[in-house]
Amino acid sequence: MEVVLDVKELSKQYKKGVYASEKVSFQVHKGEIFALIGPNGAGKTTTIRMISTLLKATEGDAVVDGHSILTEPEKVRESITYLPDEAGAYKTMRGIEYLKFMASIYAKNKGDVEEFVQRGSEICELGDRLNDKISNYSRGMQRRLLLARAIMSKPSLAILDEPTSGLDIINALEIRRIIKKLAADGMSFLLSSHNMLEIEYVSDRVGIISKGHLLEVGPAQELVDKYGVKNLEEVFEKVVTVH
Amino acid sequence: MKFSILLRKELKEMLSPTTIITMVLMIFVLIFAGKAMSKAVDDVKEDAKTITICDQDNTEFTQAMINIIDGDENTEVKRVELKSDDFTAELKDSDYKNVVVIPKGFTDQVMEHKTATVKFAQRMTSIATFSNINQGSKAALEVLQRGIKATIYAQSELDEATRKQLDDPIKLEEYTVVSDKQDQIASSTVSSIMSSQSMFIPIVMFLLIMYTSQMIMNAISTEKLDKTLETLLSSPVSRLSVISAKMISAAIVAALQAAAYMFGMNKMMDGIYGEVATDKNIEETLKSLGLSMSVGDYILVGLQMFMTILIVLSVSIILGALAKDAKSAQTLQMPIMMLAMVPYFVTMFIDIKTASPVIKYVTMLIPFTHSFIANQNVMFGDFTTYFIGLAYQFVLLCLCMFLALRLFMSDRIFTLTLGGGKKKSGGLFSKQKPSYDDE
Repeated sequence: MEVVLDVKELSKQYKKGVYASEKVSFQVHKGEIFALIGPNGAGKTTTIRMISTLLKATEGDAVVDGHSILTEPEKVRESITYLPDEAGAYKTMRGIEYLKFMASIYAKNKGDVEEFVQRGSEICELGDRLNDKISNYSRGMQRRLLLARAIMSKPSLAILDEPTSGLDIINALEIRRIIKKLAADGMSFLLSSHNMLEIEYVSDRVGIISKGHLLEVGPAQELVDKYGVKNLEEVFEKVVTVH
Repeated sequence: MKFSILLRKELKEMLSPTTIITMVLMIFVLIFAGKAMSKAVDDVKEDAKTITICDQDNTEFTQAMINIIDGDENTEVKRVELKSDDFTAELKDSDYKNVVVIPKGFTDQVMEHKTATVKFAQRMTSIATFSNINQGSKAALEVLQRGIKATIYAQSELDEATRKQLDDPIKLEEYTVVSDKQDQIASSTVSSIMSSQSMFIPIVMFLLIMYTSQMIMNAISTEKLDKTLETLLSSPVSRLSVISAKMISAAIVAALQAAAYMFGMNKMMDGIYGEVATDKNIEETLKSLGLSMSVGDYILVGLQMFMTILIVLSVSIILGALAKDAKSAQTLQMPIMMLAMVPYFVTMFIDIKTASPVIKYVTMLIPFTHSFIANQNVMFGDFTTYFIGLAYQFVLLCLCMFLALRLFMSDRIFTLTLGGGKKKSGGLFSKQKPSYDDE
């Protein structure tokens, strides 16, 4: 199976001897939804930020679509989109302007811009509200717009930190459905979430990270069977407590 | 192409309708202020034409003197009666603000060739500058002296030539020397015109510095706090493009604001000093003294202004990136404001070059100072100070830009905050620990 993201012993050291993330290794395949779960401060965001080329790795490497985050960060950024946790959008812009602006950044030609904006508009389902200023959007509307932005350009790898945070159940379900559909079409996802039910439902494989170390990787059901528990939540509790 | 997209976005954000409306409103406010002050000056001039006199001596001499004053086409005499010397009570309900009192015995003093005394009382109703410009006492004294002279002349046998000589026994020809140029004009007149024309430069510079820093700090801190910066920096654009777009757009908007302010201030000054400024002789005299700026001079002053803007932008990028929240972003503007206030006040009140060495060198160390004094340096031909200042600004600019770029190109743009949160260790600038909330 084609590997879209290959994370190889990726480490981030903030202070001497203090690792936010240490020798983290995993792969994400084409069309796969890979979820990183872990307690607060486990190193999820640091790992994601390194893969997104925002932070420089202290050791190790990650390769996206054949491009190293260390040596070809510009190429990596062409293959990914990143949706940070609790991210905002430019409040002075209208929803449609925001989509156009971000589409122009990712587009290779004018046709791409129109295509991306069209797709983004369909994904966020904001209808006429796209013509409103983003400052007038509810948190849920803003999150849908941001998610649409993250996936409208059909990147090889979409990195979504808490993609459904702040959304109500209906909207969250819709977002999960969209993610699954796009994955089925070949887009790969690297997710981070606290919501175990969401992860269990949406992800193909799960990586449990704690204190900067990736402790377990595998499909949710396999992990449940391995630890002889009822659900992923209990797997998470067992793994994190033991280590 | 990506850079132009970013630049357009930044310009659109910074040049918001609020910013444009503020700029336009400011121009109107300044023009209005100029008109209001101009009217105040006109009122003062008009007031000075009328002289309110209370003749308590009431002799033939004083009446003749008042009639002569009243006969002057530039002066109108208003005669009033005062019941006492209690000016508080007398002026309280009156329709005049000042009064000249010719006391009893005035004529006797004049006839005995003694210095005669008159009283002048002025009611102050405000501390506003233009409310107190009234030169009533000086005008009254001049008018009375003229009246006394005319009355004495009328009673004497002096010929016309002697009278004229006594009226103006000395004529003063004043010369002003600037650098290696001189012209026949009073230095007080030159100084008055120059200070009125150049007083707006420190104000514009100060506002320019504050606006520029506020804009870029808001742009950087908002992007960081809203995490739109993470989105942007993980997209296929270089960090250099992102930071350059921000800096260039802030510089464009700042220049527009400076132009708007200069235009408004110029209109305001025209309103106040219009008559003097449009006097062709004075304009030519200023030119001959080298005190009017040529196109080349404007370019030199503009260059130093631009240097200041770039330094402010670089420092603001660093400070904006350190903001923990919106409140701290505002607080972080304080160092820039303090640094701008020092040259602002110093250049308004003293000549830095003749100040004490401590004040001089401390003020000169502030890079903004050189833009505050750029026009003086250029007009007075002090190009050594100008170019030393420019070189100093350039070195500081390189240092600040290097630090700003280094910050922006590194992880620190995401991990560095001012104050270091609740951590006890770490000092003023501390790296955020990979906190549990963040991770």
